[in-house]
Amino acid sequence: MSKIGLFYSFNTKKTAQSAKRILEAFGEENIEAVNAEDLTGDQFMSYEHLILGVPTWFDGELPNYWDEFVPALEDLDLRGKKVAIYGAGDQKAYPENFVDGVGIMAEIIEQQGGTVVGFTSTDGYAFEQSRAQRGNEFCGLALDYENQSSMNKDRIAKWVSQLQKEFSV
Amino acid sequence: MAFTDIAVQKRFSIKNTDKETLAKWFELLATGRLLDDRAPNYLKQAIGWSYHAPYAGHDGIQLAIGQVFDKETDHLYPYYRDLLTTFSAGMSAEEIILNGISKDTDVAGGGRHMSNHFAKPEWNIHNVSSCTGNHTLHASGTGRAIKKYKHKGVVISSQGESSVSEGYVYEAINGASNEQLPVIFVFQDNGYGISVPKKDQTANRKVANNFSGFKNLRIIHCNGKDVFDSMNAMHEAKEWAIENSMPVIVQANCVRIHSHSNSDRHDLYRDDYELNYVNEYDPLAKYRRLLLRYKRFTEEELMEMESRAKETVKAAHKKGIAAPDPDPGSIHDFVIGPEYKSEKYPDGTHHFDGPKKKLIEGINETLKAEFRHNPDTFIWGQDIANKEKGGIFNVSKGMQQEFGIERVFNAPIAEDFIMGTANGMSRFNKKIRIVVEGAEFADYFWPAMEQFVETTHDYWRTKGQESPNITVRLASGGYIGGGLYHSQTIEGALTTFPGTRVVYPSFADDAAGLLRTAMRSEGMTVFMEPKALYNAPIAATPVPDDFEVPFGKARVRREGKDLSIFTYGNTTHMCLEVAEQLAKNKGVSIEVIDLRSLLPLDEEAILQSVQKTNKALIVHEDKVFAGFGGEVAAMISEKAFEYLDGPVRRVGSTFTPVGFNRILEKAILPNAEKIEKAVSELLDY
Repeated sequence: MSKIGLFYSFNTKKTAQSAKRILEAFGEENIEAVNAEDLTGDQFMSYEHLILGVPTWFDGELPNYWDEFVPALEDLDLRGKKVAIYGAGDQKAYPENFVDGVGIMAEIIEQQGGTVVGFTSTDGYAFEQSRAQRGNEFCGLALDYENQSSMNKDRIAKWVSQLQKEFSV
Repeated sequence: MAFTDIAVQKRFSIKNTDKETLAKWFELLATGRLLDDRAPNYLKQAIGWSYHAPYAGHDGIQLAIGQVFDKETDHLYPYYRDLLTTFSAGMSAEEIILNGISKDTDVAGGGRHMSNHFAKPEWNIHNVSSCTGNHTLHASGTGRAIKKYKHKGVVISSQGESSVSEGYVYEAINGASNEQLPVIFVFQDNGYGISVPKKDQTANRKVANNFSGFKNLRIIHCNGKDVFDSMNAMHEAKEWAIENSMPVIVQANCVRIHSHSNSDRHDLYRDDYELNYVNEYDPLAKYRRLLLRYKRFTEEELMEMESRAKETVKAAHKKGIAAPDPDPGSIHDFVIGPEYKSEKYPDGTHHFDGPKKKLIEGINETLKAEFRHNPDTFIWGQDIANKEKGGIFNVSKGMQQEFGIERVFNAPIAEDFIMGTANGMSRFNKKIRIVVEGAEFADYFWPAMEQFVETTHDYWRTKGQESPNITVRLASGGYIGGGLYHSQTIEGALTTFPGTRVVYPSFADDAAGLLRTAMRSEGMTVFMEPKALYNAPIAATPVPDDFEVPFGKARVRREGKDLSIFTYGNTTHMCLEVAEQLAKNKGVSIEVIDLRSLLPLDEEAILQSVQKTNKALIVHEDKVFAGFGGEVAAMISEKAFEYLDGPVRRVGSTFTPVGFNRILEKAILPNAEKIEKAVSELLDY
C-alpha cells in the first residue's frame, strides 16, 4: 500500500512534537512527513491517506500556512481520499473555539469530496464550543498541551491505532 | 435573536479577483504601511505625530472598510487607529501626514485635534473624539437620518474591541437594533485595550457575541488580517444593512504587531513567543505571499509597486513638511456655529400687548411654529410623545399629532443616547435642527455629559466643518419639593464648556424668543426651563408670534439707581418682588437685570448697570460656591472695580444637595427673604 502523508508545519513546536509521535507509531516506512509551509496541490494529491496537523490560531482560525493553502485545496478533487486531522488547542483559555482549526479543515476536506476519518470522543475535555465537534465526537484528534499535556501520549497512541484500522494499514 | 448563522458570500478570493483590483489593494496596503512605519520618525525628529497608534496587523479589515465606503452615499466614523481605513477610503498620503504632524491644512481640522485622528468631514469621513467608541452613538444618529430621509447609504463605525466595554456602545447598538438603522459597527479585535487583555473586558472572547440576543441585528465574524475574508465580510455587511435596513456587527480578528501607541511598551506585558506569533501573521506579508504563490504577480511587479509606494510617501512627506502651521491668533475662531441674527428684535425686547401666555405655552407654541417653519426639525426625548402625553411636563403636547412620529418621537431611557444620536443625526446635513429633552429633569442629564462634552468640541475641532445644530431642553430647578435629581439646576457645570450656549429664561416671552433663536442657529444651545414657572402666573406675558431674543442680550426687567441685581430663572421673580417691596417700603431704587443668556453673557449690560448703581448683587438658584455667579462677580471686579461702592455680593443655594423635605428645601434654596437681607446689607455698606 502507498505511504501515508503527514502534513504539518516543520516550524511548529507542539504540532511537530505530536507529528513525531505519530511518525514513530506508524513506523517511518509507512508514513512521510511533508512541510505544510511549502505545500503544493500535487504533493497533497500524491497520497491516498493523509494526516494533517492543524493547530488553532487566535480565536478559532487556521494557521496562516494552512489558510494560504486553502485556495489551492479548493481546486482539488479529494474523492477517494481519507484524511485524518489532529490539532492543538487550549480548552481553558479558548473554550469558545477549542480546536476550531480541526473543524474548519474537516469542512473544507469534505467540501472537496474527501472523507474525514479519525473521529474521537469529546469525553474528558471541558470546553464550550468547537467547530470540530459533531455530536459527542471531534472530527479528529484534539490535543491540549496547555492543560492536559500528560494525556497526549496516550491519546495519540490510541488515535494511531484507530487510524491504522480506518486507513486499513 | 441576532442573525448569526448566515454564511457570507465569497465574492473575492486570490484566484477570482481581477488583477487590477489586486494591484490597487497591494499599493494601498504597501503605502499605508510605509506611512504607519514612518510615523514614529516624526516624533523622533520633534516634528509631530506625538500620538501614533500603529495599525499594523489590522490591514485586512481596514483596507476593506475603506474600499466599501462610498463618499457619495455613506458616512464613516473611523477611530484613532484607522490610518489605512481612511487612506483606503480615498484620503491622500499627504492628508494623512498633514494630520499626523498637525498642520493648518490638515483636512480633519487644521491640527486642532490629536494626531492619528484622521478625518475628512467634506467626504463624510467624520472627525471623532478620542473618547473611544463614543462615535457609535453618532453613527446610530446618522443612521437614523439616513432612514428618515430615505437615503440609500450606510454608516460605518469602527472601533477596537476593548472600547465595546463602554456602556454607550451598548446604547448605540440597542438603538440601531430597535430603530432598524443601516449601521455597520466594526470591532477591530487585536486582543488588547492598551495593556488590558480582552479577558479582563468581558466574558466572551468575541465581544460581538454579547449582542447575540439583540433583534434586527446581524453579526459577522471575519479574519481582519486577511484581505479577502475582510472584503467579503464588509461587502456582505453593507449589502445586508442597506437591503434590510438593519445594523450589522463585523468583528474582525486582528493582531497588534506593535505597542498600543508610542506611549506604550508592549514588551512589558507580552512575551517573545506572543510577539513572534503575531508577527508571523503580518497581514501585508501574507497578502504578498498569496499574490506570488498563486502567480497573480511576479516579484518584479510587486517590487515596482512597492517602489511607487515609496515615491508616493516621499512626495507626501515633502509637501507635508512645507505646509503651514496653525496660526495661534486663530484659536478663538470656530468655537461655536453662527447664531441666527434677529432683524426684527435686535435687542430681544418688544412692545406687544396681547393676552398673557404661560411660560409652558410660550415654549409649546414656539416649538410648533418652528416645526411648521422648518420641515427639517426633529424632537425626541424620554416621555416626549405617547397619545395625549407630550413630555414629562407636557411641554411638547400635541406635537406628535401635528407633525407625526417621524419627527416627534420617544427615546429610550438613555440620556447619552439621546444626546449622542442628536449629534450624529445633525451631521447628516446642515439643514437639520434637532431639539432634545436631554433628560426628564436637568439633574438626570449627568449620564449624557460625555456626549455633551464631545458635542461642545466638534465645531472647533473641525475648524467649523461640523456643527451640531441641537437645542437641549432641560426642565430645571427646584421650588417643587422634588429633592435630589428633581430640583437641582446644573448651569454652573454646563457653562464651563466652550462650544455651547446656555440660556435660562424667566418669562414666557423670553422663553419663546430664545427658543426660536436657538432653533434657527447653528451650534448647540442648552435651553434651561425653570419648571416651577411653567404654569406660574408671574411668568406669563404677552408673546409676539414671531418673537426672537438674540443670544447675549440681557433684559432690564426693572430700572433702578441704588443697586443692581443680576439674576435669571426662578430667582428673577423673587428679585423683582424684593425690589418692589423695598421701593414701596424704603424708597430704594433697585435695578433688576434678567441675564437670560449666560453663555454668551451680556457683559456690556452688566457693566453699564454697575456704573450706574455702583453696587452689584448676583442672585441665582444654583450653589453660590462655584456657581455661575462667581464668573459674573469676577468679571465685575475686574472690569468695573473703580465703580463699586461695596463688595460684589452673591445669593444662591447652600453648598449642599437640594433636600426633599420642604423644610430642607426652603433652608437650602434662595428666596425673597434671603435676597432682601443681602440687598439691605449691601445698601448699608
